[in-house]
Amino acid sequence: MEAVRRELRGSALALVLVAATTLVAYVLIQSFDVRRGSVIYLLPVLLAGWHLGLVPALVAAVAGVLWSGYFFFSPYYSFYLARPNEILNLLLFMVVAVVTSHLANSMKKHTEVARKSEKDMGDLYAFSRRLAAASSAADIYLAIEEHLASLVQRKVVLFGAVADSDRTIKPEQEGLSQRVHSAIAEIRAGRTLATTVDDGAGDIWLVRRVSQKNADFGVIAIDLGSVPPWAVEEVRHRVDDVLSDAAATLERLDVARALNDAKMRSETELLREALIGSVSHELRTPLASILGAATVLSKSPVIAKDERLNALAGVVRDEAERLNNDIQNLLDATRISREQIRPRQEWIEPQDIVNSALERRRRRLSSHSVSLDMDSNLPLIFVDAVLVEQAFVQIVDNAAKYSPAGSPIVIAAKRNGRDVVLSVQDQGVGLTAEENAQLGERFFRGARHAATTSGSGLGLWIAKAFVSANGGKIQAVSPGADHGAAVSILLPFATPESQPEVGPDD
Amino acid sequence: MTEANPVVLVVDDEVQIRRFLRAGLELDGFAVQDAETGGDALRWATLKPPDLVILDLGLPDMDGAEVLERLRAWSSVPLIVLSVRSNEAEKVRLLEIGADDYVVKPFGMAELLARAHAAMRRHVRVSTGEPVVKVGPLSIDLAARIVSINGARVMLTPKEYRLLQLLAQHAGNVVTHQFLLKEVWGSPHLHDTHYLRIFVRKLRQKIEVDPTQPRILLTELGVGYRLVVPEAATAVAS
Repeated sequence: MEAVRRELRGSALALVLVAATTLVAYVLIQSFDVRRGSVIYLLPVLLAGWHLGLVPALVAAVAGVLWSGYFFFSPYYSFYLARPNEILNLLLFMVVAVVTSHLANSMKKHTEVARKSEKDMGDLYAFSRRLAAASSAADIYLAIEEHLASLVQRKVVLFGAVADSDRTIKPEQEGLSQRVHSAIAEIRAGRTLATTVDDGAGDIWLVRRVSQKNADFGVIAIDLGSVPPWAVEEVRHRVDDVLSDAAATLERLDVARALNDAKMRSETELLREALIGSVSHELRTPLASILGAATVLSKSPVIAKDERLNALAGVVRDEAERLNNDIQNLLDATRISREQIRPRQEWIEPQDIVNSALERRRRRLSSHSVSLDMDSNLPLIFVDAVLVEQAFVQIVDNAAKYSPAGSPIVIAAKRNGRDVVLSVQDQGVGLTAEENAQLGERFFRGARHAATTSGSGLGLWIAKAFVSANGGKIQAVSPGADHGAAVSILLPFATPESQPEVGPDD
Repeated sequence: MTEANPVVLVVDDEVQIRRFLRAGLELDGFAVQDAETGGDALRWATLKPPDLVILDLGLPDMDGAEVLERLRAWSSVPLIVLSVRSNEAEKVRLLEIGADDYVVKPFGMAELLARAHAAMRRHVRVSTGEPVVKVGPLSIDLAARIVSINGARVMLTPKEYRLLQLLAQHAGNVVTHQFLLKEVWGSPHLHDTHYLRIFVRKLRQKIEVDPTQPRILLTELGVGYRLVVPEAATAVAS
C-alpha cells in the first residue's frame, strides 16, 4: 500500500518535471529555433531517477519521448512521426533514457548506502570507545541504551536481564507506566520473548529481550509512539530487525565481558576499602600500646635521667603518632569515598577550632616559629567543628612539612565579607600555578618534593572533602615556587536564630 | 605496694595495653588490679572497691557502656574511659551516663594520669566538702562564691559564675555542652550551644590573659569544656 502510494506520488512529480522541461523546450524553440534539443528530455529522467526512484524515472522517460517527438522531430508540433529514421532516433532516445534513469537510481542507492555505513561505522566506533571507557555496569547499560535509541530513533529504556542486576530502576524515576513494568517482569521471568503493551497514555511500547545465543544484554522497552493498531506489526518488525543486528554487534564488541569487568572493578574497589578499614583498625591497637609504652618509658626513673634514652623514647612516641595520623588519613579517605561523611553541625567559635588544631600539633610545630593573628570578635560559625579541625590540622601539617625548620608560620582567623577565613601562611616551597591547580586532587603530590618528603597525597583531598561537607571551601595562594604559600579554609557564617536573653541578673 | 596506695582497676582485653597501663600507673604510685572482661571488672569492683577505674569500651563479653551503667548503679568511683577518635557522640553519651572523663587512643600516660587525678580530686572534694578550687592562677571559692586571679577579685554575672562553678567542680575533667546548658539555662535550651559559646567568650575575657588563646578554659570540640589543671599539681602520691 505504502509503496504504491509512494511510486504514484513520485510518478506525478516526474510528470511535473517533464512539463517544466517542456516549457523550457518551448521557450528555447520560440526564441532560438533550436531543432536538435531532444537531449533536454534526459534531464527530467535523470532527476527522477536520482530523487524519486526507478518507476518515476521510467514514467519521465516515456513522457520525455512523446514530448521530444512533438517538439524536435518533424512534423513539428505533432506527435506523429513522418520518417522511419526518426522513429529509430526516438527509440534510441527511449533506450538511453531508460538506461540513464536506471544508472541514476542505482548510483543514488550506492551513495546512500555508503553514507549510511560511514555513519554507522562512526557511531559504532564511538560506542565501542565508550564501552571500553565505562567504569561500571551502569555506564555500559547507559551506553547501550543510547546506542539502541539512536538506531531505532525512539525513546528506549534498558534494564538488566534480571531484576536485581545493576540497573533496577524505580517506575517513577523513568516515568514508565505500571503496565510497561509488568511486561518487563514477564520477559525477565522468561514467560515471553517479546510483547507490545499500551502504556495507558496512548503510546505503544515494545518490550523484548536483547540477546544472542551466548549473551543476554538485558530487557529493552521501546516507546513506539502512538502507532495505529494495524501498523504495530510493521513497526515492530522494523525495530526487531534493527535490534537483532544490534545484538549481534553487542556480542562482537564483547559487551558481556565489558560488563563483567566493570562489575569486577567495582567489587575490587569495595574489597580494597573494606581491607583498608579493617587493617587500619587492626593497626591502631598495637599503636596504642607502642605509644603508651613509650610515654611510660620516658617517665621511668632509669630512662628519665639518661638524655639519650629519653630522646629515643621520644622518637618512638613521635613516630607512633605519625603512623597514627597516616592511619587516620586512610580511614578518613575510605569514609569519604564511601560517602559516609555526615557533619554534626553546631555553633562554634572559629578560634576554638584553630586552638584545638594547634594543641594537637604542638610538638610538630615546636620546630617552627608560629605566630597567631586572630580577630577577637569573630562571628560564630555553624559547622562540624571536629571535621573542620581535622581539615585545619592537615593544612598545618603541610605547612610544617613543606617549610624549613625555624621558618615562620602565621596562623590567622579573620572575617572576610560573608566568610570566616582560617589560614596558614608559611615560607616554604610554595606552589607553582600548575601545582596549585592540582592541589587537593586525590593522591596528588608535587613532583618537586616527591623524592624528599614523604606523604600520601591524601591530606588536602581529605581537608577539601571535610570543608565542603560543611559548606566551605579551601583556597591556596602562592607567589610561586619557593616563595611560601597561604592556604585558607573559607566558611560562610550565619547568625543564630535566637540569642540568649541577657538581663541585669545574668 | 603498701595498703596506702590507691587501687586502680584497669579493664581492657588487650594484654599489651594492660601491661603499659600497669607499668605507668604503678610508677605513679597506684596499686593495679587487671580485668579482661566486663564480668571480671564488675566482680573485682564489688570484691575490692577501687579508688579509680580505667575502662576500655571494646570488651569481649559486654559493651563498655553497660559495665559503666551497672557500676554507676551503686558506685561513684572516679572512672576514665579509653575511647577511639572521631566518635564525639559516643564520648558525650558515656559522659552523660557517668564517666568522669575520657582519653582517646592512642594516648600518652601523662594525659591519662592528669584526667585520672582530676577525677579523684573531685571525688575527694565532694566527700570532704573542700570549698576552694585552684586552677593555675585562678581560684574559685565555691562556698563564698568568690573568684580571683592571683589574688585579685574578678566580678562575674550570675550566669557566668554558674558556668565557672560547674566547670570548677569538675576541674581538670571535661563537662558536656548538654550538662552546662541544662544546669545554666534549663532543659528547653539543651541544643542552644551558641548561648554557651557567647557566655564562654565573656568568661574568657574576664579570666584569660588572651581570650583568643585560652590557657584555662579550653574547648573540647564536639563534646564540651574543660578547666585545665596545670600538670605540676597532679601527683597523687604527694
